[in-house]
Amino acid sequence: MLRWKYSRPLLIAITVIFAILPFAGDNPLSKAGLQQTMAVAFLFGALALTYDLLFGFTGLLSFGHALYFASGMYVTAILINDFNVNFLLAILIAVIFTSLLAVLTGGAALRTTGITFAMVTLAFGQAGHVVIARDFGGFTNGDDGLPVNADRLPDFFIGVVNTKYLYLLALGILVFIYFTAWWITESSAGRVFAALRDNEQRVSVLGLNPNRFKLLSFVLSAAMAALIGAAMLIVSGSGSPRYAAADITIALLLMVILGGPVTRWGAVLGGIIYSVLSTRLTVLSDGTAFDSLPNFIGGPLAEPAFTLGLIFILIVMFAPGGISGAYYRARFKYLNKGK
Amino acid sequence: MSTFLLILITGIGLGALYFLVASGLSLIYGLMGVLNFAHGAFLTIGAFTGLWIATKVFPNPTTWTFIFSMFAGGIAAGLFALLMEQLVITRLYNRHIDQALVTVGVSLVVTALLGGWFGFDARFLPTPLWFTKAATIGDAIIPVDRFIYIGVAAILLIAMLSILKFTRIGLIIRAGVENRSMVTALGINVRLAFSTVFFIGGFAAGVGGVLISVFSYGVSPLMGGSWLIYGFIVVVVGGMGSIAGSAIAAMLIGITNQFANYYVTGLGDFVVVIILAAVLLTKPTGLLGKVSH
Repeated sequence: MLRWKYSRPLLIAITVIFAILPFAGDNPLSKAGLQQTMAVAFLFGALALTYDLLFGFTGLLSFGHALYFASGMYVTAILINDFNVNFLLAILIAVIFTSLLAVLTGGAALRTTGITFAMVTLAFGQAGHVVIARDFGGFTNGDDGLPVNADRLPDFFIGVVNTKYLYLLALGILVFIYFTAWWITESSAGRVFAALRDNEQRVSVLGLNPNRFKLLSFVLSAAMAALIGAAMLIVSGSGSPRYAAADITIALLLMVILGGPVTRWGAVLGGIIYSVLSTRLTVLSDGTAFDSLPNFIGGPLAEPAFTLGLIFILIVMFAPGGISGAYYRARFKYLNKGK
Repeated sequence: MSTFLLILITGIGLGALYFLVASGLSLIYGLMGVLNFAHGAFLTIGAFTGLWIATKVFPNPTTWTFIFSMFAGGIAAGLFALLMEQLVITRLYNRHIDQALVTVGVSLVVTALLGGWFGFDARFLPTPLWFTKAATIGDAIIPVDRFIYIGVAAILLIAMLSILKFTRIGLIIRAGVENRSMVTALGINVRLAFSTVFFIGGFAAGVGGVLISVFSYGVSPLMGGSWLIYGFIVVVVGGMGSIAGSAIAAMLIGITNQFANYYVTGLGDFVVVIILAAVLLTKPTGLLGKVSH
């Protein structure tokens, strides 16, 4: 087997260490700044995993995944702010609402395939972005973003001293999504998802309805994205139309390719690395790190998208499978040494 | 009536700009099956080249220098498209998803590169004075720049259709759109057709970039991304691989967008994506679509 026998204990150990670090005396993770960065990164890791379920496992190239993330975020915020709903109940309703939205939009989009499917989902995503950014209906506060009413959230999520609890919330969501994705992809439905990706015709010959399983995959990943969106609302304190933009879906695609699709941990790692890099590179560029370089080199280097885009091109061209793909290739070589 | 005419002609002008972005996308996808996310970058490169000509090389804009900067923008974008095709796309032969992904990377890098060099604030592109004047048709007062967009797009539409119809390479491109493997099997060099399509598509996008800078009063590294999405929508509605389909869809979407925006600000964008979804769900190949790969 390609899997290293200690990989699961290692994963658990890493998670436990990450959970303890903010409370364990003086270390980088005991500072609120890094905790916030990591909380966002964990959530993007989880979101990348839900995209991997769609793109990697089921083979559906969607450009509208951000819609469901933003839907979870905004429905939660609107329910808490305008209707004074308890935040847990608000998240539950947001997830159910988003699932229904995914049934409708996914059901329509799945009448097409391939690039056309990508374009229809892009259209739905853009429609959602327009609704949020232009504030049709007067709920979303348009381009300014929608701050969640802090008085109606539990006290331990409010204030800089409590960033560590936001960090734990994000880590908890990541673990929950990881196990859910694991359970889905190892279930018999998950096997059908993979079969659909590899040979759709064969699946229908076996008497299974391909579209029903594609829709299941679509709705499950949308529902998980909605939950992550609600968590992002609490972690970042407000919703913003940029979370609904096509840029987010493209970033998710980059994360999955960077970490490597179809391995679960690859997508999570890709999401975390991408998120941390884009935050940290922005911080670097605001400082003086690139000032000593001439502008024609230092200017682009100060843009995270330049470095990330370059890495991305190199991975697609020379290292398909990303980080996890490279790992498994190396391990395959190691195991076959001497044979 | 005068308002109607103003909105109609503005819509057609907007459609002309959409067409310049979409025509290349459509040909590239039709022939090669590559969904080119870098097309927005071509547009931006064209716009920055035009800006450079209009501010540094010929600081006193006249009609001729503007035509020159449009041409230079087209050539620069076309050459960049050719370079990308040769360096990146050809190495990923027949890996369609990877080709699309790599163009995403190229567009990120170009946007960041230009942003790093010139900043993300919009820069004004100087135009000849008469661009800002208005023409009177009946009792309608219509800004004259609309007619420039329509004229340039019409010239490029005729030029592209002529190349496709009357030249040998055009014949190969048309045949390749219909059935690429058959053309290859006949021993015809399709590679040259690929490069031609990238250059023509890049050229149109570059010219479009200069005109879009006039239309939206500025050049910015981010302009490509927002226009690319409209390019996609036009291509998909018109049908992949069909220049005429792109032209019709561009007009349809430009005009609808303007009329919807007249009644509710911002509604235009929403209506456009609804049109896209409606067309695709009823006719997945688009209005005049030929390919289905």
